[in-house]
Amino acid sequence: MKTLPLLIFAIAALAQWAAPLSQIWTHEQVLTKGTLIKLKCSAPDPYDPLRGRFLAVRPEQSEVSIPLETKFGPGQRVYATLTTGADGLSTVSSLSPTPPASGEFIRLTINFSSGEKAWINWPFDRFYINEKLAPEADKWFAENIRGDNGIIAEVRVLNGRAVLADLSLDGKPFREILKERVK
Amino acid sequence: MNTSHQRWLLEQLPQWERDGLLTADAARTLRERHAVDDSQPGLGQIIMGALGALLIGTGLIAVIGYNWDDFSRPVRLLFAFLPLLATQLFSFRVLQRGAAAAWVRETAALLQALATGACIALVSQIYNLGGEWPDFLFWWMLLCLPLAWVLRSHAVAIFYLVGIAIWSLNQAEHGKPWHDSPLMYPLLLLGLLPYWPGWKGKVPLSITVRWVMTISAILGLCSAAVFMSAYREDYYSYRDDTFVWLWTLTAAVFALFPLNQDGMDEPTRCKPQVVLGSLWLLGYGLAATFRDVNDDIIRGASHALKLPWCWGLLAVLVVFMLLASARRRWALLAIASVALLPLIALPFVHGKGEYSDSLLTWLATLHLSAVGITLIVLDFTGRRSAPRLGAALLSVLILARMADSEFSLLAKGITFIIVGSAFLAFNLLMSRLHRRPTPAIA
Repeated sequence: MKTLPLLIFAIAALAQWAAPLSQIWTHEQVLTKGTLIKLKCSAPDPYDPLRGRFLAVRPEQSEVSIPLETKFGPGQRVYATLTTGADGLSTVSSLSPTPPASGEFIRLTINFSSGEKAWINWPFDRFYINEKLAPEADKWFAENIRGDNGIIAEVRVLNGRAVLADLSLDGKPFREILKERVK
Repeated sequence: MNTSHQRWLLEQLPQWERDGLLTADAARTLRERHAVDDSQPGLGQIIMGALGALLIGTGLIAVIGYNWDDFSRPVRLLFAFLPLLATQLFSFRVLQRGAAAAWVRETAALLQALATGACIALVSQIYNLGGEWPDFLFWWMLLCLPLAWVLRSHAVAIFYLVGIAIWSLNQAEHGKPWHDSPLMYPLLLLGLLPYWPGWKGKVPLSITVRWVMTISAILGLCSAAVFMSAYREDYYSYRDDTFVWLWTLTAAVFALFPLNQDGMDEPTRCKPQVVLGSLWLLGYGLAATFRDVNDDIIRGASHALKLPWCWGLLAVLVVFMLLASARRRWALLAIASVALLPLIALPFVHGKGEYSDSLLTWLATLHLSAVGITLIVLDFTGRRSAPRLGAALLSVLILARMADSEFSLLAKGITFIIVGSAFLAFNLLMSRLHRRPTPAIA
């Protein structure tokens, strides 16, 4: 057996493991050590042919006020400082091109900016669900998304990285509610 | 001669020997010269292997897509990695055995490629990762590329070529950084360098792989041209007049892509880059003979000359033209020169604002006439050429000029009949003169 093809194969096989493992490592770090923040959502429901059914999670806040002299280009990576209100929900209070010295922050991208406003792209946009639960999830989402309390995205944040951990309504996890509904 | 022709020849040899048509020595020489390399996959083997692997891979992705909510995260991650591990072990076994049948290599490589994609997709699902599918496709293709090499898999090479073409088409959208745009396509194509035309391999590449390679390269490089022609005033837009000329320069580069002697000796149908490049160039040249599009062509060239991508293409084209001259590929040089027409016209119309005069029309008409005549004369002087293409070009030119002339319908009709008859007569003459297969355009 020739050595070179085997060596290339070994490197390729390792890379095929390394790519998903690095993702797992990063996201596990955020999930275990990250701070929990809550964001109010608005969302429709699409389907991803490769990864199955998901709820498109779109935090309600889509624009942030910025100083007039600040210019952000489309796709620019920025750091959003998060402020938690009396209701326990977090919002983005400011944007900066460098990480803030203190407080919780998320790294995200600019959709576009104009004048004193910047529109942001959140770093998460989907919550995958079981195919069997998906029809009920659609109904649940439609019923509650415009309610007073709204659907809350529970996100873990660590060093600017954010991982969507769960969805909840009135403090109750989304999957529990769904399982009760399909019984 | 492709594998099926070789097999047919080898089957006939015993009968020909018995009939006394060939001596035993001659038959042996033919057997040695046209020996069939069974380690190379046939089309049927690739299709069967690929189909099986695709069915299993797609099934795997669908099972994963179900989203096994009842299992914990580690168990679901195990689902992602087990198929990958199994396919890697299968591929390793195939690699270890060395002389495995072609269909086994193809199946192993494609299965591993699909398991890699399924694994990344499942990890994204488990962690609710956002992101766009082109990013996923990009990394998936990069992780698959080595399999085309180590397992000598044509199926994975085709999969890779299709994947990077789709990725490039999607990335032509304005405002992306260069490293996330179709400008990366040439680098991605470099990953399959020995599949490029002109590369001296042990065995010739199958026609299927060549066509896929050419079409992928066309889509990738044309996407890059579109991406480079984007401009921003109040909002982003694309200059179609600009990228059409960039496409034409790309077509000229394709047509003149350097080949070794074996490649030049092959029939034209085995060189898709020549077929498609030449067709585009002649179409572009014919369009340039119409006055209505002159302004667009000149404006496009004028804008394109401000782009580094255009200068890069021109530099490559000049090098390829020099190499083609050295190889005496005169017919293709004549056709490729059509791409430079706007450059010749530009100094004469520059600064006039609207380029409404008919300089380019006449220049293109004269140039294409010269190309047509060259293609015919080259053949009569015993060089490689395509005389019928030359005659067809001259006929189409006459018809185009008649179409936009003020002549009466009667005059136009008579001209059409004369041109049609002359074309048929020329075709007949060429058939009698040659009595042999049409020579290839080198």
